[in-house]
This record gives sequence, C-alpha cells and structure tokens, in this order.
Amino acid sequence: MNSKLKNEMIYSIVVIVILLVVAIINVNYIDGHMANIAQPENNSTVPANSTIIKVTGYQWAWSFTYTNGTTSTDVLYAQAGHAYTLQVTSKDVIHDLLIPNLGVQVYAVPGHPNQVTFEPTKPGTYIFECVEYCGQDHYLMRGYLEVS
Amino acid sequence: MSTIDLLILASVVGSLAAVLVFLVYYLTASKAESMSLTAKEEGYTDSNAYWREQLYGKPRPLSWSIFTYDDAKSIGLRYIFTAVLFLFIAGAFGVLMRVSLFDPNPVIIQPIIYNILMTQHATLMIYMFAIGAALGFGYYLLPSQLRLKRDNMGHLSSVAYWIWVLGGALFVLSRSSMRWYLYPPLSLQLTPTGAGAFNWLAIIAMELIFIGVTMASVIVLKVIFIDRADNIPLSKMPVFAWSVVFTLIMLLSSDEPLMVGLGMLFYDFFNPVFFTGTTSTPLTFAVLFWFWGHPIVYIAVIPYFGLMYDIITRFTKTPVYSYFSGVFSLGLLMILSELVWGHHLLNSGLGIDWVLFFTSASFVVVIPSALTIFNMIGTLWKAEKIRLTTPMMFVINAILDFIIGGVTGVMLASQSVNEVAHGTYFVTAHFHFIFVGLTLGVTMATFYLLYPTFSNGRVYDERLAKWHFYITAFGSLLMSTSWAVGGYLGMPRSVAGYFAQFQAYQDSAIIGGVIIGIGQLVFLYNIAKSWLAQPTTDPYNILEYRNETNQEIGGGE
Repeated sequence: MNSKLKNEMIYSIVVIVILLVVAIINVNYIDGHMANIAQPENNSTVPANSTIIKVTGYQWAWSFTYTNGTTSTDVLYAQAGHAYTLQVTSKDVIHDLLIPNLGVQVYAVPGHPNQVTFEPTKPGTYIFECVEYCGQDHYLMRGYLEVS
Repeated sequence: MSTIDLLILASVVGSLAAVLVFLVYYLTASKAESMSLTAKEEGYTDSNAYWREQLYGKPRPLSWSIFTYDDAKSIGLRYIFTAVLFLFIAGAFGVLMRVSLFDPNPVIIQPIIYNILMTQHATLMIYMFAIGAALGFGYYLLPSQLRLKRDNMGHLSSVAYWIWVLGGALFVLSRSSMRWYLYPPLSLQLTPTGAGAFNWLAIIAMELIFIGVTMASVIVLKVIFIDRADNIPLSKMPVFAWSVVFTLIMLLSSDEPLMVGLGMLFYDFFNPVFFTGTTSTPLTFAVLFWFWGHPIVYIAVIPYFGLMYDIITRFTKTPVYSYFSGVFSLGLLMILSELVWGHHLLNSGLGIDWVLFFTSASFVVVIPSALTIFNMIGTLWKAEKIRLTTPMMFVINAILDFIIGGVTGVMLASQSVNEVAHGTYFVTAHFHFIFVGLTLGVTMATFYLLYPTFSNGRVYDERLAKWHFYITAFGSLLMSTSWAVGGYLGMPRSVAGYFAQFQAYQDSAIIGGVIIGIGQLVFLYNIAKSWLAQPTTDPYNILEYRNETNQEIGGGE
C-alpha cells in the first residue's frame, strides 16, 4: 500500500466515522422526540398529557383555538411545564409555523393537517413566525408566544 | 399625460424599436448571405457546415459574430456572456433586496416589489447564471480539451440557446412573485398579492428554460461520448469533462418530474384537479419539485469542482492528487444527491420514517463532497510551488467557503437543528457560502483565465482583479456569517420586514451584500478598461490543451 492510498484511506475513514457518530446521534434524537416532529394529524398519537390547540394559518395571520373554545390571533398563550399539541392546517396556501426558541416547526398545508407536540419550560415571551413564503404580507405573519 | 401624448410617445418608441429590429435583421441577413457565398465558392451547399469546419477548435475572440456562427466555441461564448449578463441583473436585484431590509419595516421597497425581486434573484441566478455558465464552459472548453473529431450539432445548440434565453426573458417579464419553489396553491393565485398577475407566463418561461437546457445537455453529452478524439479514452479525460458528464446525467434524470409537474400546474390554472383538488395535496407538487430542486443545487457545484481541479493543476504544475478518487467521488455525489431531496420537506408532515431516511441519507452525501475537498487540498499539499494568481486565489477561497457551507449543511441535516433553522437565514447562509464563494468565485476565476482568449490577447489589470477578489471574498464572508448567526436565532428568510431584534444581523448582512456588489463593479470596470486597451499577449488559454505533454498534466496519474 503506497502512502497516497494510505492517506486517502485515513481521511475517508475519519470522515465516515465522524458522520456515523453524528448520524447515530440524529437517529437517537428522532427516536426520543417522535411527538416533537411534525407529522400527519392523528388524535390517537397525541401524547396523553398534552392539550390540543387548533392552529389555522391564512393569508396573513395565525389563529389559535383552545380547548375551551376561545380564539386568539397572532398570539399564542401557553403555560410553562404543560405539553401542548398544535394541530395545524391552512385555509389557503402553504404556511410554515416556526417557534425558533423552542425548536417547533410544522407546515400548515391545506387539506393535509399536521400536528406537533411541545412543552415550554420557562415563562416568557417568544417569537413565532411563518417561514414558508405565502404572498405579499408573508413577513407580517408573525406573533408572540406568551408562556406564563 | 393625456391619451394623445401617450399615443404619440408609444408610436415614436415603437418606430424606433422597429428601426432597430430591422437594422439587426439587415446586419444578420447580409452577414449570412456573404457567409453562404463564401461557402458556395468553397463547394459547400450547407454554409453552416463549412463555417463550423473552418472555425472548429480555434480560440474565438468575442464579437457580435458569435450570434451568426454556430460552432461550439461561439455557442459557448453566447452561453458564458448571457450567464454573466443575468448574473449582473440578478445580482442587482439581490443588492436592492439587501438595501430594502435596512429598516425592520419595509420603507424603501414595498413588499410586493420585494417579493418579485426575491423570485427573480433566485430563479435567474440558478437557471440562467449557474446552469448557463456551466453549459457555456462546457461548450467552450470541451472541444479543445477532448480534441473533438467533429462539431456538427451547431444548429440544435443554437436553437437550444435561443429557447433558453427566451425562457429567461419571459421569466423577467412575468414579474412573478411565487418564489422559485412554485408551491401551489400560492402559484395558482393570479393576483398581485399572491403569485403575480402574470404567473402563468412564468410557468411557460420555466418550461422553455427546461426545454433549452435539456436539449443542450443531450448535445454536450453526445459531444463528450461520441465526438471525443480516439486517442483520449474515458479514463484520461480531464476532471472537468467528467464533472460535466455527471452534472448533465443528473440534470437529465431529474428534470422530467418538474417538467411534468409544471405542465400539471399549468392545467390547474383552468381546472384544479392535480394539486389543489379535494383528493389531492399540494405536497405532491413539493415532492415533484424537490426531486429536481435538490439535484439542481449540485448542478451549480459539480461542474465548478471540475474547473477547480483543472485550475489547481495548472497553477501548481502538479497532477491531481488522486484522479480516480476525484472522478469517483464526483460520480458518487451525482448518485447520492438524487437520494436526499426529501430533506427539504422534513417538517412538512410527511411522517417520521421520511425524516429518519432523509436525514440519514443527507449525512452520507457529505462523504463524496469531503473526499473532493481533501483531494484538492492534497493536490495543493503536494505542490512544490503555488502560483497565487487571481484565479488561484478565487479557487482557494472557494475551497474555504465550501468547507464552511458544507459544515452548516451537515448541521441542517440533523433533525434537531433542522426544526430550528429550516426556513431561516441559516439556510440562506449555508447556500450563499457555496454559491457566492464557489459558483461565483470559480466562474470569475475561469473568466479571468479565459479573458485573453475571449479578447484576442488583451490583459486585465492584475491589481484590480486582486481587489475584486478581496472585496468579493470579504463581502461574502460578512454577509453569510451575519445570516448564519441571525438565522440560528430564528431570523426568517424571504421576508420584506422582520422583528426589530434582528436588525443588527440584517444591517451587517446589508453591508456585506453591498460590498459584494461593489466588487462586481470593480470587475466590470477592469474588463471595460482592458477591452479598450491594445492586445499585448498571446491568446493562448491555459485551460485548453495545446499538445500531448499538456494532456499528461490534467488526466491520469
């Protein structure tokens, strides 16, 4: 084996090992956070302890309907230490709800409702926004998550 | 302005345009006639065949005659200069977008205009600049690199070129604001607040671009495989030729889904059955789109890898560290990149299995990219001496930027980062590191290398070219780094306004973007200045092979 081939083997193996480690960490993460990943809406897979919030995206605002029937627009109210399942759909075009500080992201697709579960831990005000371009006032499709 | 004034103005402008069109027609027609007379005197019935044989393989200086000849070199020059023209149009759109984000609320440019600029910037940069420049360098360099036996597809190449240009022009005219993803139902909203009133024209334009690019790809593949000189076996081809082969096979095998999808989308304007009906979902289109949309980002990278290998071997006088592993990893990149398109839709609710498969596959696709970069670094390592000319500096910067862009890409492939950063400026930073650093940088490097050939022996100002490099590299780094940091904190992309807390990241990105723009103006000034000077050098072009000894440096071990 000449030195060139040896070098190639070394850097290939180093790259593959690093990627393998990262890939295993990633699979592990997915396995442990199934409910936190966007998936098709299905009431039987909603975690038992979480409260369902119905979310509708439309051009250009988000509306949230809680279990007690009240609705808020561009503001989402939640309590720290409680799990919530967002069931997200859209009235018109594709939107994408992102709460960056909590790592919550789910597409709002007309005719294809999705759900995602999250649990805020610290009280405070977080931003959320639409990150799938949806027309003229896409940038105004944003608001605050108030965790009390 | 009254109606009569308007009519007078319209008729004056119309007459001037008609005079101009007639002038162009007269010039081309008289040129064609004199060319066919010359050919007839030489005993040819087909004047184009005669001229292709006369011009075949020779360096072609740039003049308007490239539009009347259709030998491969002229076609290549047409593609390269059209791509550079669209680079400047789309780049100006990009700088305008940056400047308008100076304030968190859209005060300089209204959102409706901003969205049009955004759509045009993305589409023109990818379809007209990146693909156009790759095809142009292919047409221009391959005939002499592979010493073609014949050059007989000029007519079709010319037709493909004009269809492609027509597509690009119609796309600009459509003033579409649907973003390059074209997701329905937004792309079906023919209103100014949706996808733009003339979005149907944009769909036709995209289809035309695809037809032109597909035709040209088939012709270039035919040139490489069938017209190659008999004494250049596939295993001795320059890496650039291989990279073009892989790129075009990838292009041809993945653009059909979107061509079909665009046709279905067009039908949906009249009768929405395919993507927005009661039994269908718009995600079907997203899947069709990304099946093409992911390979296309490699189309903007793989041919430029090939050019980087060729430029590095020229300026280090060292053969490629490992020719086999270079070609093999580009081939592997072609195959693997077709398997990862789903990672653009990780959060769209297509299921956990989808996420599991496509995140894992995205890690695998890093292996060939890393091998390519290590191979280039190995070549530089083995070199006795590296000549740090402007093209070489662009290439070294491209390697650095590709590493940064690649690492941010691997981060995005992991689901825990993806659900935070997808749809934010982190993604924009990831691909602008690569597109500005690598695609733009290597295009500029190759342009500088070929400039004496284009211009019949004129020399660009080395000092200004160095400034162009430093300004572009610094601007790109500043812009993309600001985006990466801001994006990781949740700054959404493709917005005309933003939360005030992100203003620092946006403003530093604006400075970076404007700096890149200034860098390209330096480039324009440099080219214009040297164009007006007298030729002082041999129009010999070091990316082409003049004799057998040169051939040994590029291919083989």
